[in-house]
Amino acid sequence: MRMRAPLSLSRRQLLGSATACLIAPLCPARAADRNYELAPVERAPGVWMIEGAREVFSRQNGGAIVNIALLETPKGAVVIDTGSTGGMGAAIRAFADQRLGGVAMVLNTHHHPDHWFGNAAFEDCPLLAPAPAIAACTQYGGDFAASLYAILGSWMSGTRPLPARQPTAEGPLEVGGRKLVLRQMAGHTLADLVVIDQATGTLIASDMLFLDRAPSLPDADYDRWLAGLDQLARLSPSGTIPGHGPFHRDGAALAQTRAYLTATRARLDLAAQTGLTRIEAMSAGPAPEFAHLGANPEEYIRSVVQRWPDHETTALPVIGGA
Amino acid sequence: MTVIISDMLPGGTAGLIQPATGDAATGGDAFDSGMWPTHRAEYLGADAPWRQDPAMVVLAPRAAENSAHVPFVIDATALPGVVERIVVTVDYSPFAHALTFHPGRALPFLGFGVKYEVAGALRASARIGGEWHVGAAWVSALGGGCSAPAAVHARPDWQQGFGQMRGRLWQKTGRLVVSIRHPQDTGLADGIPAHHLTELALYDAQGARIANLELFEPLEENPTLTFVLPPDLARQPVTIRSRDNLGDSFTGTVRPDA
Repeated sequence: MRMRAPLSLSRRQLLGSATACLIAPLCPARAADRNYELAPVERAPGVWMIEGAREVFSRQNGGAIVNIALLETPKGAVVIDTGSTGGMGAAIRAFADQRLGGVAMVLNTHHHPDHWFGNAAFEDCPLLAPAPAIAACTQYGGDFAASLYAILGSWMSGTRPLPARQPTAEGPLEVGGRKLVLRQMAGHTLADLVVIDQATGTLIASDMLFLDRAPSLPDADYDRWLAGLDQLARLSPSGTIPGHGPFHRDGAALAQTRAYLTATRARLDLAAQTGLTRIEAMSAGPAPEFAHLGANPEEYIRSVVQRWPDHETTALPVIGGA
Repeated sequence: MTVIISDMLPGGTAGLIQPATGDAATGGDAFDSGMWPTHRAEYLGADAPWRQDPAMVVLAPRAAENSAHVPFVIDATALPGVVERIVVTVDYSPFAHALTFHPGRALPFLGFGVKYEVAGALRASARIGGEWHVGAAWVSALGGGCSAPAAVHARPDWQQGFGQMRGRLWQKTGRLVVSIRHPQDTGLADGIPAHHLTELALYDAQGARIANLELFEPLEENPTLTFVLPPDLARQPVTIRSRDNLGDSFTGTVRPDA
């Protein structure tokens, strides 16, 4: 059975922004009210998903661009990823507290900030992530915070980067009687945690899988990522929660993520092999079959800068030195 | 005729990076404002005639994904007359002068990357017959690009691979790309003295100079430079020589692709 739990975790507004401007028409553009209207949906028994917008970070979406999974247990929920801001983490926490009997454990799948910047709302809970991800969170947390404050503005109020404290272990994990299997992969980043819920056969794929939202490649290793997809292809989940994009029951995200990586790698290889500048490669836009994906072309333009050295080194032979 | 070759990629006509005109080129501020009056007096000459000219094209992404590598193309091929040199400055940088390009017998076109310390405009000023034609592109950046240590210093031995030169020359398009492994240290990171390229020149098979660059601190780590050569020069080997501020010199030769 699937249920929709409409949530209004926000405090009631006293004045809508439009009303406020009627009263004081010369007031500077006022920031819209910063509330997350999260809508958790039960996708399988005890498997809740909060779906993110298929977009890049913006002041319109407040960073609610990432999928969150919550698995119910008698001891509280296993919360998989905590969102982009302290406020988003608090909204997720409120749902877990009000509807799922609290929080038993938090897992962060990898070090990208949309997956763990809400951790501070779970400071009193066990916080786990793959060891290399914890190290990366510790190293880059300050830089990510600076970036997100610049992009998200007041959505970031009160956000404090709090890396997970305990490393996850590969293999089975039982929480409050709910049996999970953790798989530590890599390729999207240096460490990507994938969770399989045994009771329902649901795959919580983290950012190893994207659907209808362009994969982000700042820390990508094409070969390791594609090898990870080969491993995921050997599973036969009853349903998949990708890192970004809709819940689905077929292999759509697996096929699309593989096709996107292959096509983007080939496109940037061709660009470097043809002597294009980075600017020209950006200007050309993503491979046409992926131009329509959510977060494109922004995500593709970012990928050109991030991945260019890989492609350029392959394209340019050594011709001299010091 | 444009020298831009984005359309060599399948469906590559999206045209996502377009030059900004008017005040948009400087992020909405008046073109002759901010640091520009100071920079033009210093780098173009106090009384030098200049004007904003849309034919001096500067292309950049609107947002710098990585402040240590912000890519640009400057393209003066649409300007009438012979471009003597192009001065590239960054409005809000601890080192305003990024490079000066003397195109010589190459086309007045250059692809390169710079470090960005803070959001702002990069300007290219092309000198033709004593007049300056100025274009700009404004880039949003978090910054820190000039004051952070080069990425290579995180490794045990930054000298490994130092000075390695890669390059390629495409006969069909006249494109010449060269990259040099170099930390491009600005001197602003704690305990790391300035160490950056100061010049780079291209020579034809007879040893005559084709084009040259004066280079300064803002150029990115492991810089990549893209030139466009006319057909006669793209048919023969080209030698690249470069030097840095500590007296290291670098040399390599590219042969045209078959």
